[in-house]
Amino acid sequence: MKFTLKDSIDGLNELFKNEGDIPESSIILVTGVEGGLKSGLVFNMLSNYLAKNGKHALYATLEETEESHLRNMASLGIIKPDRLHIFDYMDVRQEWEDEEPDFLKITEDMIKFYTEKYADFDIFAFDSLNALYSISANINPRKHMYRFFTMLRAKKLTSFLIMETHSPERRWFFGAGDGIERPEYFLADGIIEMGIIEDKESVKRYIQIRKMRAVNHSMEKHQVLVGKNGLNVVGSIY
Amino acid sequence: MDQNFKTIQLISKETNNPKLKLDITAEEIVKNHLEIIILSLLLEKSMCGYDLIKEIITKYNVMISQGTVYPLLYSLKGEGIIHVEPMKGSMKTKRYSITEDTRNNIEKKIEGYIKTEEYILNSIRKW
Repeated sequence: MKFTLKDSIDGLNELFKNEGDIPESSIILVTGVEGGLKSGLVFNMLSNYLAKNGKHALYATLEETEESHLRNMASLGIIKPDRLHIFDYMDVRQEWEDEEPDFLKITEDMIKFYTEKYADFDIFAFDSLNALYSISANINPRKHMYRFFTMLRAKKLTSFLIMETHSPERRWFFGAGDGIERPEYFLADGIIEMGIIEDKESVKRYIQIRKMRAVNHSMEKHQVLVGKNGLNVVGSIY
Repeated sequence: MDQNFKTIQLISKETNNPKLKLDITAEEIVKNHLEIIILSLLLEKSMCGYDLIKEIITKYNVMISQGTVYPLLYSLKGEGIIHVEPMKGSMKTKRYSITEDTRNNIEKKIEGYIKTEEYILNSIRKW
């Protein structure tokens, strides 16, 4: 039986109906509040997926260094396979600080490099779009994101783009939106939300598929737990 | 900059026909030989990614993207061909150099590469 992305995390298949799955070559936005395990979900999926087949994937992080990212992932019980490549931009950011490099162009060229080097490179993850916007002086989300999404589709990469949304506490301080148009939501083929639900007695993390084009999926929020070997999706939260 | 290199650029601009296979730009030539160019530069002295890109601009008047050079450096490092020293107190954080174990092999590899290219190019009829 083919090992697919929905098999990469225990219980993730519960979110899909019939033969539904994360479609190959699709662009998936992974959104949610801070601490919602967005990076953990994507890195866990990629690690387990690659461990079962001979493919290559690239995890590009603007958020932290490779060492710090791997430490965080190890604390969740996630072990990186050799074929999962990490690019952390830290050297580029420090060495080119005075020249305002075009990080979107750098990312496109980096994808081209890995595509040419590894014939079976077919998954790309980017952490995060918020970080990209905050360090890019002249980025126009509508124009540049359309170009970026088009490039990812042309390369036939299954792509996970991480984007943080404001928690209710942050909204209270900073307002509901940042005034920036978010074309990613309608450009993406799928949206997976990683959230936190808090009541008087407990705090629970959840995963919800908000959108997955051409796929029959559940809209229920499912609880996410961290086990010895990474994340587990358990039953519906309500 | 080498005079022959300027000529290649001039020819590629004049014969700007997408169907013509000979129509290759200087940028493409540098990109196609990037690994060997970077290794030859590192044989001369240790450098960081920033210095390598600036050196390539000076030598060939071609800007190679950070998105190409840095993954290549990380890949060469992963394969044990080059090694890296952190630079404390400098914005140029890492300096790459050729390991002593691989220096001889790389010199031979570059020499062999140049000889093969020269043989092929010299065998092409000249007008």
